[in-house]
Amino acid sequence: MPDKRITIRATRYDPDKDQAPRLQSYDIPFYDESMVVLDALNYIKSNLDGSLSYRWSCRMGICGSCGMMVNGTPKLTCNAFLRDYWPRSITVQPLNNFPVIRDLVIDIEDFMHKLKSVKPWIIRKQEIPLGAGEHYQTNEMIDDFRQFSECINCMLCYAACPVYGLNNEFLGPAATALARRYNLDSRDQGLKERQPIVGDAEGIWECSFVGECSVVCPKGVDPAKAIQQTKLDTTMRFVLPYGNRD
Amino acid sequence: MSADAETHPAPRLYRWRMPANWWTRNRHYFLYVLREFTSLPLAIWLLWLLYDISETRLVQPTAFAVFSIVCLPFALYHSWTFLSLAGSIIHIKVLDRPVSPRLIVASQFALWIGGTLVIGLLLLWLAP
Repeated sequence: MPDKRITIRATRYDPDKDQAPRLQSYDIPFYDESMVVLDALNYIKSNLDGSLSYRWSCRMGICGSCGMMVNGTPKLTCNAFLRDYWPRSITVQPLNNFPVIRDLVIDIEDFMHKLKSVKPWIIRKQEIPLGAGEHYQTNEMIDDFRQFSECINCMLCYAACPVYGLNNEFLGPAATALARRYNLDSRDQGLKERQPIVGDAEGIWECSFVGECSVVCPKGVDPAKAIQQTKLDTTMRFVLPYGNRD
Repeated sequence: MSADAETHPAPRLYRWRMPANWWTRNRHYFLYVLREFTSLPLAIWLLWLLYDISETRLVQPTAFAVFSIVCLPFALYHSWTFLSLAGSIIHIKVLDRPVSPRLIVASQFALWIGGTLVIGLLLLWLAP
């Protein structure tokens, strides 16, 4: 039986030479049914073209480093199996909506700034000393925010969001989902610190509920839900006399 | 300029631009744009209705009837998509247990159908 092969078309962009990204084709062996797109890129880098640049780390869908456009859809390349595409060729491009540094590597500065701006950590008005014991939470309390805490900051949701693509001032899906994750945490008291960012015109109100962010999320987070629920909460906090709580 | 910036100038980034036809590249994008577009004929229909109310008569009854029929599928599609999303948006608890999104969506559709029936009957009752 002849060896199976597959064609990978990868974006190449050298900022010192190229005016714009271009696609380069690589014909590689498809020797194992468990091969993923990241394996194909690693094969190319090891055997065909060592200059190909891309980000990756854990290879198991945890670190969120290897997000790329695979045949036009934002995917973690460690979780995109070649068998799902073969015998068609696979086009691998950098995530949409971000500036490209080189080949498949995007500039994540804007996302990192937005992520930090929503203070995705537990904020206390006054820290309780360690000796005072734990902050108790019931399973029901954790269920309120559990799914939003699954976010791995892979930025696939930003690549899928046409609102962010058209206006990169938009706070975006993942940052809002993480803000909601902490706002819903019974241990947190930082809602008022996050609200000026989240409730800004470029925050939740910029979202027009395309919903594709939730479709592409590899961890089952529903950022669109987080944004719409935050809109409702913000409105109620504004309208109801008791809503402007701490 | 710092010494670091002199020795390591910032890389020249390729700025990605959203293509004008982005909404044709994905079924979800297309349905989203369709959903947003339906607001336009509905807004025109409403302005027309307001004008007729200000004139206290139907200025062009046949044309308005035809346009209303044209707008009906847009109104139904917009309402359907909007109400279907209610399960994602509304997050309420009863007796400390979250209400199922399906139940929330069903309640929205029930209110919609109920409201339509009440308004319809009211209009029939008011009709000369």
